[in-house]
Amino acid sequence: MATPTSSETTFESVSRTKGAVFEYLTLGASLFGLVALGVLLLYVFWDAFGLATAEIAWYGALVICVVAPTLGFVAYARRNTVAGEVALELVSTAMGGLLAGFGVIAVIEVIAGPAVWFAYFLTVVAPLVGLFLYNRARPEVTWVGLAMLGVLIAGPIIGTLTLDTLTQIESLIGGPFVYLLSLVLPAAVIARYVIDDYLELGNGNFAAGLVVAVAFFAVPLIDTLPLVSRSVWLIFLSTLVTPLGIVAWKNLAAPENRVGFAGPGIFIGGVGLLLIVTDALGLSGPTPWFDWQYLTSNPSRFADQAGLYSAIIGSVFIIVLVALITLALGVGAAIFLEEYAPDSGPGAAIARLIRINISNLAGVPSVVYGILGLAVFANLVGLGFGTVITAALTLSLLILPIVIISAREAIRAVPDSIRNASYGMGATKWQTTRNIVLPRAIPGILTGTILALGRAIGETAPLIMIGVATTKFSPPSGLFSKTTAMPMQIFAWSSYPSAEFQHGVVAAGVVTLLVVLLTMNSIAILLRNKFETEEL
Amino acid sequence: MANENQSATAQQSDTDQLISTDPGGGGLSEQSDNQTVDSETESVVQSQNLDVYYGDTQALQDITIEIPSNRVTAMIGPSGCGKSTFLRCINRMNDLVDIARVEGDLYFHGQNVYDDYVDPVALRRRIGMVFQHPNPFPKSIYDNVAYGLRIQGNTENLDAKVEQSLKRAALWDEVKDRLDDSALDLSGGQQQRLCIARAIAVDPEVILMDEPASALDPIATSQIEDLIEELAEEYTVVIVTHNMQQAARISDQTAVFLTGGELVEFDDTDKIFENPESQRVEDYITGKFG
Repeated sequence: MATPTSSETTFESVSRTKGAVFEYLTLGASLFGLVALGVLLLYVFWDAFGLATAEIAWYGALVICVVAPTLGFVAYARRNTVAGEVALELVSTAMGGLLAGFGVIAVIEVIAGPAVWFAYFLTVVAPLVGLFLYNRARPEVTWVGLAMLGVLIAGPIIGTLTLDTLTQIESLIGGPFVYLLSLVLPAAVIARYVIDDYLELGNGNFAAGLVVAVAFFAVPLIDTLPLVSRSVWLIFLSTLVTPLGIVAWKNLAAPENRVGFAGPGIFIGGVGLLLIVTDALGLSGPTPWFDWQYLTSNPSRFADQAGLYSAIIGSVFIIVLVALITLALGVGAAIFLEEYAPDSGPGAAIARLIRINISNLAGVPSVVYGILGLAVFANLVGLGFGTVITAALTLSLLILPIVIISAREAIRAVPDSIRNASYGMGATKWQTTRNIVLPRAIPGILTGTILALGRAIGETAPLIMIGVATTKFSPPSGLFSKTTAMPMQIFAWSSYPSAEFQHGVVAAGVVTLLVVLLTMNSIAILLRNKFETEEL
Repeated sequence: MANENQSATAQQSDTDQLISTDPGGGGLSEQSDNQTVDSETESVVQSQNLDVYYGDTQALQDITIEIPSNRVTAMIGPSGCGKSTFLRCINRMNDLVDIARVEGDLYFHGQNVYDDYVDPVALRRRIGMVFQHPNPFPKSIYDNVAYGLRIQGNTENLDAKVEQSLKRAALWDEVKDRLDDSALDLSGGQQQRLCIARAIAVDPEVILMDEPASALDPIATSQIEDLIEELAEEYTVVIVTHNMQQAARISDQTAVFLTGGELVEFDDTDKIFENPESQRVEDYITGKFG
């Protein structure tokens, strides 16, 4: 009979006490870390945005006009996911375009200057892009890779040699024309390609024509208002208005997507409403330290006028150079160590030694790299104390081991099965590396490199060692010009006696640095997600 | 080199290895060794006293074999018997394994492929390979098939060649509308046929297949088997398989490798499965071990 007899089969209970204790300990540890970080960030943001200075009623108006409607839309978007996705796409395109625009302004307009950009655009960038497009159109042509290599080597040399002539040409045609040629026209061509071939909306030629027409007719009209220069308008036309226009057009074309425009609309309308309401009621909002004036002013001994401009430009200049140097050297070293280094014989011993040492170098304190930079780059080679090039080379050394290690990981993650497939087809090692390994490894390489760059941009110790100035009242003008960097400037301000500096200006600097860092990290995440989902 | 056995009936025993028999002769072979060369067809690949070592371990012992052209030659045997190793010797894929060492001779059209001046890359362009697990490149279907042609700089009429290869691999009808989709979106069986299409796109003379159906379901397996039989009309196919029924179904010749890396018997498939010379082969075929 199948009647269960409880007396005969009993189960002892198994103790889970240790497991439960462990679970709550780990939970506590992670909560502690998060809360500590959160409190710190809150404190910094509180100071940087001067949140204590606003009236309570202003916050009430903020909640009613902006926060509540936006949260309402978010709640709606959780049910109507299409609306959420469209809104997110619009907002991220706008943010990305804005950041790209600022990046272009910092790198081309401020650091390089339109004349230098014009020279290297003609000799390096344009030929490279042209060759790339030609190869896309006719993939069977085999000399393109070699030609690109030739352009990479010869282009900068020709550019430097003809710099004077091209600068004169630039001074004749003017900066705005340079941007028209190098940014607006490519943006128009890309818009045409994206709309016709990728989104298949048709009207690509119309869109491209519209972009050019805006550049020729609307921009001269707008820049009669003395806000920013014509060049800046053209830059934002290429990086912000064109992509945003394409995204908006795409979503307007699909009726079910149109509801997504409500999100950004509610937010912008809410901000407008807030301005009107607070103006009418006479409510005073916060007076933030972190504002437009702060980003565009050079340092000052008056807290009200102090800004991070020269330090931001210095940091961006250094980090662009570091990115170029570490990508070239780091990826090269990683490819050699993973693909070419011998696995047996005396060569293998040397390769193993190099690998172990690179891993160890990743843990060397940054101040040691500072001494190395001081001794080698500043003194021995004579690149100067506290110059952009010395700082860039020193920081490159600092993150090179990390870049090499992450690039090696990415290359090693490419499965051997597709390598063998390529070799089995009769591909050479170079063809396999170029066509199979690198395309697969690039997202991982880029992610690792960008995270390492994030570390470099926040470094202070090596910069102190090589004599980078803590405060500089103008941005660097060239490779051998003395510079400062964001962490150096923040460090300097933190020792100023006045409370305005200690609790306002420093906090705003920290926020700026964090924004730059988080932006770089989000680019890394976006790249990884994009390549992982495409996998093509 | 003693391999020009064109005469249809001559029993040659001028070396102790090579015997030429009439295919209709019912597989007579006085000598206990293991070669049968079909007199109607020329042999494409032959090995002579081939030894392979991985470090100190010997993976293949004294392999001497002649593989006839335009036939399906199957290599069967238990795991670790060296049949895949032999396959990878033919197109020198073992060069990629650092610890592998090859001794002896392996001829492709009478040319020793282990001679110093033979470029393994050039060799692999004439001997295609299909692997155990489908390994398409993470590229589009079109780019997968075009890959071999592109790396050889042979890009005239690329579209036509891609289409022809996909048709010969019996995949065209399934993918013709989505050539630009990722090859990784295909099913396992489709991926393997794509890998075959990729291999035949460059028009090799020999196609090596290393257990090409072992990772596939029965339906996909039978598609691959049909395909192999068709391919043998134009190509020399050498297939390693775990599956004895598969070898019996599709191959013309069968080589039986047994543990320790020795080639125990090589003959017409019918003879191997019905009346093998060696007791060990019979034990293996009838499932007494392995």
